[in-house]
Amino acid sequence: MSLETVRPTLPAAPGPSWARRNLFNTWYNGLLTTVLGGLLFAGIWLGARAVAGFDITILEVNLRLFMVGEFPRDQLWRPWLSGGFLAAAIGLAAGLIQAGSRERAARSGLPFTPTTPRDVVRRLAPVIGLVVVLLLLTRTITPTLLTVVVAIVGIVFNVSGRRLHSRWGWVGVGALVVAGYLSLAAFGGVGWEDWGGLHLNVFLTLAGLLFAFPVGILLALGRRSALPVIRALSVTFIEVVRGVPLIAVLLFGAFAIGFLLPEEVRPSQVTRMLIAITAFEAAYVAEVIRGGLQAVPHGQTEAAQSLGLPGRKTMALVVMPQALRASIPPMVGQFISLYKDTTLVAILGIGELLETSFVVNSQPDFLGKGLFVVTLAFAGLIFWVGSYTMSREARRLERRLGVGER
Amino acid sequence: MKRDRLTALIAVTALTIAACTTAAGDTTTTGGPGATGPVGGGGSVLAAVMDRGSINCGVNNAVPGFGFVDADGNHVGFDIDFCHALAAAVFGDPDAVEFIDLTAEQRFTALQSGEIDVLIRNTTWTSSRDGTLGATFLTTTFYDGQGMMVRSDSGFTSIDDMADTTICVLSGTTTELNLATRMTGIGYTPSTFDDNGQIQAAFLEGACDGWTSDKSQLAGVRSAWPEDDGGPEALTILDETFSKEPLGPAVRDGDAQWAQIVDWVVIATIQAEEFGITQDNVNGFADTENNDIRRFLGLEITDAEGNTSVFDAGLGLPADFAAEVVAAVGNYAEIYDRNVGPDTPLGLERGVNALWTNGGLHYPPPHR
Repeated sequence: MSLETVRPTLPAAPGPSWARRNLFNTWYNGLLTTVLGGLLFAGIWLGARAVAGFDITILEVNLRLFMVGEFPRDQLWRPWLSGGFLAAAIGLAAGLIQAGSRERAARSGLPFTPTTPRDVVRRLAPVIGLVVVLLLLTRTITPTLLTVVVAIVGIVFNVSGRRLHSRWGWVGVGALVVAGYLSLAAFGGVGWEDWGGLHLNVFLTLAGLLFAFPVGILLALGRRSALPVIRALSVTFIEVVRGVPLIAVLLFGAFAIGFLLPEEVRPSQVTRMLIAITAFEAAYVAEVIRGGLQAVPHGQTEAAQSLGLPGRKTMALVVMPQALRASIPPMVGQFISLYKDTTLVAILGIGELLETSFVVNSQPDFLGKGLFVVTLAFAGLIFWVGSYTMSREARRLERRLGVGER
Repeated sequence: MKRDRLTALIAVTALTIAACTTAAGDTTTTGGPGATGPVGGGGSVLAAVMDRGSINCGVNNAVPGFGFVDADGNHVGFDIDFCHALAAAVFGDPDAVEFIDLTAEQRFTALQSGEIDVLIRNTTWTSSRDGTLGATFLTTTFYDGQGMMVRSDSGFTSIDDMADTTICVLSGTTTELNLATRMTGIGYTPSTFDDNGQIQAAFLEGACDGWTSDKSQLAGVRSAWPEDDGGPEALTILDETFSKEPLGPAVRDGDAQWAQIVDWVVIATIQAEEFGITQDNVNGFADTENNDIRRFLGLEITDAEGNTSVFDAGLGLPADFAAEVVAAVGNYAEIYDRNVGPDTPLGLERGVNALWTNGGLHYPPPHR
């Protein structure tokens, strides 16, 4: 009996264009495409006209309110300094990842294509576009100059990160992030309870995920634990939190924590929101990681055991790294939805970006002018740029890691 | 074995749910009459405020003229100035105040839980709020009321003329209910919207014959009416007021001292207007022979026997608190004119908010 090699069907040679295959393949699809395309164009055109036809002074004078909320205006050097530290951290991290990939490629003998500046610009195009829009709204040259300085800092750290490949590099990234936080809050600065605007949204997203991640890993492991009590507690927490809308968790955090704790130890509104967001995200992260754990074939555990690894090391060195890799794409999806969900803290009157885009319309200069369309479109643009960039990166990451292919 | 695990799981779940429901129950029942004592350590609010070094003032961040955030991130407005006045009275420093932005839903919970010391957030004084929400309402700072705005060329002069008309109103507000009560027996079609911007658009298109809301809001809309539609003169606010909306500060039930402090700070601003004391001239009364004013400003008083003393009302405030208040935010007229008066975008005339001597409702009890 001969063995027959079954080959996967390869994609056919390039035939009709994508549009012809997908949008105009039948007469009714063609009609649908034409009508919907027309409507889409009209919508965009009308929206753009509405926005352009309105006075954008409201954005110019309130730009700082949109960006950093009520942060004291004589302390604005702090967000800039912090931005410099964060740019350095991001630049360094990206550089280290590059160095790591190059090393791995060299070890396995595979070709390595470094990320060129052109790639970076292409990938960050929406963000760069947004920064240009924001800078066009400023009235002095200082923000532009500071942005250039921050960008240069990021590039310098990126270049040095590419040459450096050591664990200390990652310690440096952590130190830069901590420095970024301390430059805002420490030494007479402003704690996060008084942050606002886009700054607060970004902080809640990053801190929420940072705190939720370890809790989520523990919950995911707890759910697979052999100990019934731990498993039951994890399952209960995960299912109760996932069965409740985020807004309910936030309200519970805002009202219940206020009543249950005495005044001396009662956390601020923003801290309560952060606790609620952490609890909520931890449940979702746990499920994502559990999915990752299930994706690791059982043979991996058996192989590790046959090498004589104890259970804890099997998990830490063999199973968890593979599980986390498989969890990265859904985790980014979770990250994006958290970024948008941070606007929900507006229901408690906390001045994040969306709330700000409402309240600026109460200022005497803009009263009764119906500028909601301008401010909401502005806030929407900012959120869209962030979410779109992240989801593009997620897709790229998914391809690179080969998740879904093996 | 499997069954044991299941039992354990059910037990844990039941316990968790029990814990959750108890906690949730706490939050709702605390809103009832049970919540009388000052929360936050059981001490007096004044002592807690002095310890903290600032007053937590619950405010609005999106009501034009009354409480909003300016481009520099400062809270500004009529209500906000009373928070500054309170801080000036207690600490001699108008900036010793933390503003806590609250939504309409949150405001009484925040007050009950002790998160704020005083609520000054365009809140109407009603019996049920006094009775069941654990709040004590104090001297009214602004008398508002619901009114009706029509086009000047419509010919309507009173609400009774408006049979068979379409009246635009915000949905889900007491405004809508007040309208229904007022229009009993008069046929009309209510048209509801979610925000004032939408009503404005509908009004411009001629979809509404009348627009009802609190008069302070209508006045704000009217003063900013687009010039290409005739400007403010194209609109008329009818004289009739068909609901009472006394807006003022509220504190938690159960601390009379703190309530009196807030009360007398508000009264001091009104009294200062009656005396003609303003932010500019408050320091010029050192030689006045009017003992009422001397008492009010905490200046030395010489009695018939030649003994001098400084009047202290025993409110727990410094004797010169009124002088501090006026120096910080001015008298009532100054606060009014700066934030909502005729020269502001809101353009509100004093009306019933004038002093009693001018036919208004502000009648400060004597300071002696």
